[in-house]
Amino acid sequence: MTENRTNIKNKVSKFHDKYYKHLLLIPLLLLVFCGIYLVSFNSSHGDFIYKDITLTGGTSITIFEQVDLIDLTNSISEQLDGVIIREVSDLVTGKQKAITIETTSDLDSAKEVLESYLGHKLDEKNSSFEFTGSALSQDFFRQLLIAILLAFIFMALVVFLIFRSVVPSFAIVLSAFADIIMTLTVFNILGIQLSTAGIVAFLMLIGYSVDTDILLTNRVLKRHEGSLNSKIYSAFKTGITMNLTSFVAILLALLIVGPLSHTLSIIFIVLAIGLLFDLLNTWITNVSILKWYVIRKENKNEN
Amino acid sequence: MKIKLTWRIWLLIILVFFSLLSVIGFPPAFTQKGVVVTGVDSSSPAFDQGLREGQIIVSIDGNKIKNPSDFFEAFQNKFDSNESVRTDILTKNSELIILSNESLQITVSEISNSNLKFGLDLIGGARALVQAEGKKLTDVEAGELVDTTQTRLNEFGISDITVRQVSDLSGNNFMLIEAAGASPSDLKDLISQQGKFEAKIGNDTVFVGGEKDISSVCRDSTCSGIEKCSEVEGGWACNFQFSIFLTPEAAQRHADITKNIPSETTPQGRYLTLLLDLYLDDNLVDSLRIGEGLKGRVETQIAISGGASGVTRNEAITAAEEDMHKLQTILVTGSLPFKLEVVKLDSISPTLGSDFIRAIIVAGLLALIGASIVVFVRYRSIKSSLALVLTSFSEIIIILGIASLIGWNLDLPSIAGILATIGTGFDDQIVILDESIREKFLSLRQRLKRAFAIIMGAYFTALVSMLPLLWAGAGLLKGFAFTTIIGITAGVFITRPAFSDFVRMIEGD
Repeated sequence: MTENRTNIKNKVSKFHDKYYKHLLLIPLLLLVFCGIYLVSFNSSHGDFIYKDITLTGGTSITIFEQVDLIDLTNSISEQLDGVIIREVSDLVTGKQKAITIETTSDLDSAKEVLESYLGHKLDEKNSSFEFTGSALSQDFFRQLLIAILLAFIFMALVVFLIFRSVVPSFAIVLSAFADIIMTLTVFNILGIQLSTAGIVAFLMLIGYSVDTDILLTNRVLKRHEGSLNSKIYSAFKTGITMNLTSFVAILLALLIVGPLSHTLSIIFIVLAIGLLFDLLNTWITNVSILKWYVIRKENKNEN
Repeated sequence: MKIKLTWRIWLLIILVFFSLLSVIGFPPAFTQKGVVVTGVDSSSPAFDQGLREGQIIVSIDGNKIKNPSDFFEAFQNKFDSNESVRTDILTKNSELIILSNESLQITVSEISNSNLKFGLDLIGGARALVQAEGKKLTDVEAGELVDTTQTRLNEFGISDITVRQVSDLSGNNFMLIEAAGASPSDLKDLISQQGKFEAKIGNDTVFVGGEKDISSVCRDSTCSGIEKCSEVEGGWACNFQFSIFLTPEAAQRHADITKNIPSETTPQGRYLTLLLDLYLDDNLVDSLRIGEGLKGRVETQIAISGGASGVTRNEAITAAEEDMHKLQTILVTGSLPFKLEVVKLDSISPTLGSDFIRAIIVAGLLALIGASIVVFVRYRSIKSSLALVLTSFSEIIIILGIASLIGWNLDLPSIAGILATIGTGFDDQIVILDESIREKFLSLRQRLKRAFAIIMGAYFTALVSMLPLLWAGAGLLKGFAFTTIIGITAGVFITRPAFSDFVRMIEGD
């Protein structure tokens, strides 16, 4: 049994030694594809993501009563702009608890249309509303992008300070960058709109994604015992456990809170997708670059 | 096995203890009976007797008050007769005897069973972000705006509301107004109104709102109130009237302007030919006739009037009273130097609040359990996964403890931050666990030191990536950065070291 395992390990190790540079092609091609996709998406949509009303400006009204979704959609979508209707449902029974109507129209007109459809007034007891002016939300969006950019730069600086060598630090930054770009692309392909909270989730993703990369780089560069492959393998074992626990925790949270809160579900979906890509980017992108770097350095030293 | 706790573990235990104390209060809030006062109108006789926001009412007229509905019941039909009746209010620290013939204008709510404050987006409330229209507010202007608005809201009798100045990454200044719980429906009008009041005769301005021209505004029933109501087409209309007192300068201006206006005879008596027109934000509110006797006289007391309508008589009265109240408020506080624009307005109903908080707690617990199962499957050690859950749990308690200590509002972004912290906490503890069982040729101490090298790296990257969020988006998302920073900091310096000592105990080093 143990012999068998060692055997497999050796085989994997040999395979990896031979093909690790080729493996790098997978994430690289994917990253190039995502980059091209996002650029073309940007030129056809005027923006590189689908924004929801928290980023474009508009109104969201939640009404705490049972409403026929189809009938409501048919009746109001002519009168209001960019209408999206969502259901808020009970976790256990799955019954409709409330509906949320999002529109890019302003608060007063949205209220008026809904009140005339429902036949009664909307007050603070039977409804919630959120309105964001379009100038403000565009400003929010711009600032959040700056926040992410700054966060990214700060993160890169800290990583560089910790490891003090260019290539390994670059590998970490690259894989965090790839996580973000790939997750964004999936959101665009699925047509999911991002909110302010969704963008904040990308900030969270930077933190999560860097964790495993730092673990890997630390084990490979700062330990002296064991072969390169065994160091990578040990980091892999720890890192996979880390990713898996985070993934399980996020999935469970999504399952419970998702039906109640659209805001939190977007956050969790960003994280869940991001963590999946992080598997690829840590254990292929980062590992391959790091291995390449270490082997080249060893060869140089031998000469 | 004799268990000897290290100082790091003791530190964690003590911190968790004090955090719990900070969350539940001392004596624990849930052992307290009664209702908490959330507002007392300054015109209420209860206010004169010393009843204030935050006090706890235990009984009324000898009947125990356990919840807000007991409170409402105690006053039901009490003031129907219009005669003065006695009310005995027992608060936790004092006893009040109040004689009144009208409602005491006290609002109460249930005593919360912890010191945790939840954000509007969880428990309901209203929030408005206000900017000047077509103009960037300077720091000073925003500060003044906040002050004026605060006075206005106080004058209006709304106390359960906070007004703050906030700024964002691009240097924009805003006024942020937040009201917890149910909010007045006309909040938007009240805060976005510039409140430019002008009284004009012809094209000449006689006086404007604010203390420069108006020395006082009468608000009690002897010189302010509803004058008369009459049935009109489609409902009722009511008129209100109240007196104001002009400063000597404004009164002199009035005399100078009226001096040369001819008078005429009307069925009601002799009046000047020009009217005193009252404008609010450039809209004509009312036009008053000026009696001939006032012509050219330096008169400081002036009557202001206006009207409102409604479908029923009562509606019309309420509307007129509200309008009068608003106008009085504006006359006292004066106008703002610029037009305002409400750029964000949220009003969240409390309806889903408790469901929501419950769901978040369940989600958090399940996430903890799920993650600990993964850890158990991986390391086959009940002790380790238990220690892991306990450490994460203590981390949450510390975050909540600090949040309630400094009165932080836990809003949705803050909750997301707590969830993020649990996630990174797990990651770090797995690193510790993993290092502790590897490379046995090193001492456990050395192995744990290695673990902390990784953890500190992860900590600093997470920390710096959160910083920009403290300012982006007018601070509406800073709860996320705040809880994350507290969580990971407590994690790195307190819970993780304790956890590594736990691991050492388990490993028997």
